[in-house]
Amino acid sequence: MIHATLPFFRWADHTWIAQWIRDSTWVFALIEVFHLFGLTLLLGTLTVLNLRLFGWGLRGYALKSVATDALPWTYVGMAVSITSGILLFVSEAMKCYGSLPFFLKMGLLAAALLFTFTFNRNLTQADPPSPVVSKCAACLSIALWFGVGLAGRAIAFF
Amino acid sequence: MSLYEICQALQDSAVGTSIRESIWTFPIIETVHVLGLAVSVGILVMLDLRLVGAGMRHIVAADIMHKLKRWYLAGFAAMFASGALLFWSEAEKCYRSPTFRIKLTFLALAGLNALFFEIKYVPSMKNWDATGVTPSGARAVGWVSLICWLGVIGFGRWTAYGMK
Repeated sequence: MIHATLPFFRWADHTWIAQWIRDSTWVFALIEVFHLFGLTLLLGTLTVLNLRLFGWGLRGYALKSVATDALPWTYVGMAVSITSGILLFVSEAMKCYGSLPFFLKMGLLAAALLFTFTFNRNLTQADPPSPVVSKCAACLSIALWFGVGLAGRAIAFF
Repeated sequence: MSLYEICQALQDSAVGTSIRESIWTFPIIETVHVLGLAVSVGILVMLDLRLVGAGMRHIVAADIMHKLKRWYLAGFAAMFASGALLFWSEAEKCYRSPTFRIKLTFLALAGLNALFFEIKYVPSMKNWDATGVTPSGARAVGWVSLICWLGVIGFGRWTAYGMK
């Protein structure tokens, strides 16, 4: 199945933007710095929200308030990480094609995004879910997003 | 023994060498470093954003500081411990790296800034925090903190890049 995606990876690898990033000595590093800024904001705000969801951290606050305050910055972090991530990807598309952690990361990312834009987003509007659901959801969300981070780090090493 | 020789000895030590040449240890330590950073600095950034008035309207700054303290302290502990090990394995390279020095400068500034906040604004926090009107000095602390941590992360990443 992965073989069917090869033309896409090859195309990404040959775009002018990929070549421009590869040819420059510092653009790649600069994009990676932004990837890290975005990731910090994304994981930091999600940690606070999911701690509250689990019943820890900002316990004195309504879940709705924490979600309303934290999620906009989660989205900012997400936008920065994904934009920079796409640029990093195209510049190393063929390396990614041969990387198992890359495909793992994309799978986890898809699941994490789906979960964030359905379940987490609902927290800003609906009543809080039952404690059992909350705790499971918090664990799942943290596992998915930190899994994205772990798999992402693994791309560089394996 | 000069600082340079100490760094050289650290890098050449058994621990430094085994971390550097390991297949798994180095990547694991680096991952702990990045994820510890995301948790600790990520929470700190929320506090800074509250101080500068960029969102976080429902949550008072004192609660971010106190109720999340064990979490960001745990993150900082993980980040500093893993950072020390990374330094140990590449101390001589770090010594020669200009970006590493800039990173440490930003880190020291972030620490001094936090200390200033603790001494100057935390004692009177009860009076201003809940009103939603942050004193201009505390707002400046938030901005300085944001800039310093961006500097630490940026130059930290750049240091690693320069060592490849």
